[in-house]
Amino acid sequence: MSEPVLKVENINVYYGSIHAIKGISFEVYEGEIVTLIGANGAGKSTTLNTVSGLLHPATGSVSFLGESLAKIPPDKIVERGLAQVPEGRRVFAQMTVQENLEMGAYTQGDDIEGDLEKVYGLFPRLKERMRQTAGTLSGGEQQMLAMGRALMSRPKLLMLDEPSMGLAPILVEQIFDIIADLHRTGATILLVEQNAQMALSIASRGYVMETGRIVTTGTGQELLASEEVRRAYLGG
Amino acid sequence: MTFLNFFISGISLGSIYAIIALGYTMVYGIAKMLNFAHGDVIMVGAYVCFYATSRYGLNPFLGIVIAMIICTLLGIIVERLAYKPLRQAPSLAVLITAIGMSYFLQNTALLLWSSNPKVFPSIIGRGAFKLFDGELSISHITALTIGACLVIMAVLTLFISKTKMGKAMRACSEDKGAAQLMGINVNATISMTFAIGSGLAAVAGALLCSAYPTLMPTTGSLPGIKAFTAAVFGGIGSIPGAFLGGLMLGVIEIFAKAYISSQLSDAVVFGVLIVVLLVKPAGLLGKMTQEKV
Repeated sequence: MSEPVLKVENINVYYGSIHAIKGISFEVYEGEIVTLIGANGAGKSTTLNTVSGLLHPATGSVSFLGESLAKIPPDKIVERGLAQVPEGRRVFAQMTVQENLEMGAYTQGDDIEGDLEKVYGLFPRLKERMRQTAGTLSGGEQQMLAMGRALMSRPKLLMLDEPSMGLAPILVEQIFDIIADLHRTGATILLVEQNAQMALSIASRGYVMETGRIVTTGTGQELLASEEVRRAYLGG
Repeated sequence: MTFLNFFISGISLGSIYAIIALGYTMVYGIAKMLNFAHGDVIMVGAYVCFYATSRYGLNPFLGIVIAMIICTLLGIIVERLAYKPLRQAPSLAVLITAIGMSYFLQNTALLLWSSNPKVFPSIIGRGAFKLFDGELSISHITALTIGACLVIMAVLTLFISKTKMGKAMRACSEDKGAAQLMGINVNATISMTFAIGSGLAAVAGALLCSAYPTLMPTTGSLPGIKAFTAAVFGGIGSIPGAFLGGLMLGVIEIFAKAYISSQLSDAVVFGVLIVVLLVKPAGLLGKMTQEKV
């Protein structure tokens, strides 16, 4: 196989004295949807925040497109094409929808009309509400805005942290349809989810995390079928 | 007519408070800290302007520009040396550092410029516009102060709402972590905020000392505290709030001096603040922060 887009090698991450990530390794290749699944507190978000440069691994390395991210500050990591949609959406509530999207394109030049069109095409609902402040949107619309905002940076890897969190089942399906659509148009995606069923059903490959470790890995279908995963996460 | 005269003096004093309050409120909005050294930056600005004009005979407006440049640099340096290392520290540590920085600036000024009061020459002389057969008199400096405040508010509001940097500042003030994930350099944004606030403090210093000409190393502290009050009054973190709070504080102060008692004026000002905060704890235009989950 060719060089992976993202390569995480044996990273250990601590919060003070708490050993949150215990030597995990994984890769994401171009055009894949890779999912990290696991229960609350397994270390999924910590892993994403380490990749984004908000947290620093004590040991181990993260490389993106062949370059080590160890000494690169978070804002420069975004510039290199790595975007994260954070857990809980975290849209800028007092700014308008359009301004939120502009912030997503912060690392891009001033010519963002084309990107805006693309995002509005993907999420027509956002276009209807472009002048509203983001705080007035519903949870599902905020999730669309958070995703659209990340897409504005023209990411080479899009990382999604719990996009289904707090959404009604119908909206969860809608969000996952959009993720699958993005994948079909060639996007490379790293998806962190507690909703293992949904995540595995669209994923190329998955890693199962448990208390800071990766315990199992396989293709989405393999993990969906695996007895162990069924028992632990799918209530089967 | 005397009422109108008092009102205009109040608006003028309030304009100075508003310009200073902008520095407090912007820094609070973005760095979530109270920069109590801000009042002393005003004093430094006034001294720089004083020396540039009285000692080196420069045009007063050039003096203000030089004072702005020096205060901008001072603001950036203070932030970098004193506050940036405390970004993860508890807010109490930052607050105490800010108070320490305030004393440091005052005492440095004492060493450099001595405690002898300087008489600050007004930047545009002591003339006045006479209206209604001289019944209403508006000094040039009053008019300039009000004008400067309006221009600064307009430019700053445009900057914050229309420019990329201004929008990034609003994003940082809402959520620094999310702002970082957008590729915004949060440290540079905080530096920028200090730079703008301190540059404006230099303008406030020159205007303040033109209206009240005694310049000493402690000149900045009381107006600093009053402007901080104005910022809280209007809703700290809110730019229109600083404007409204500053103007109201100035008008209340002058009216209290004129109609109640000049000794009690500060007590009246702070009394009104207490009442406002009892009724609206976030200030007049402040928003109670709520999180949507």
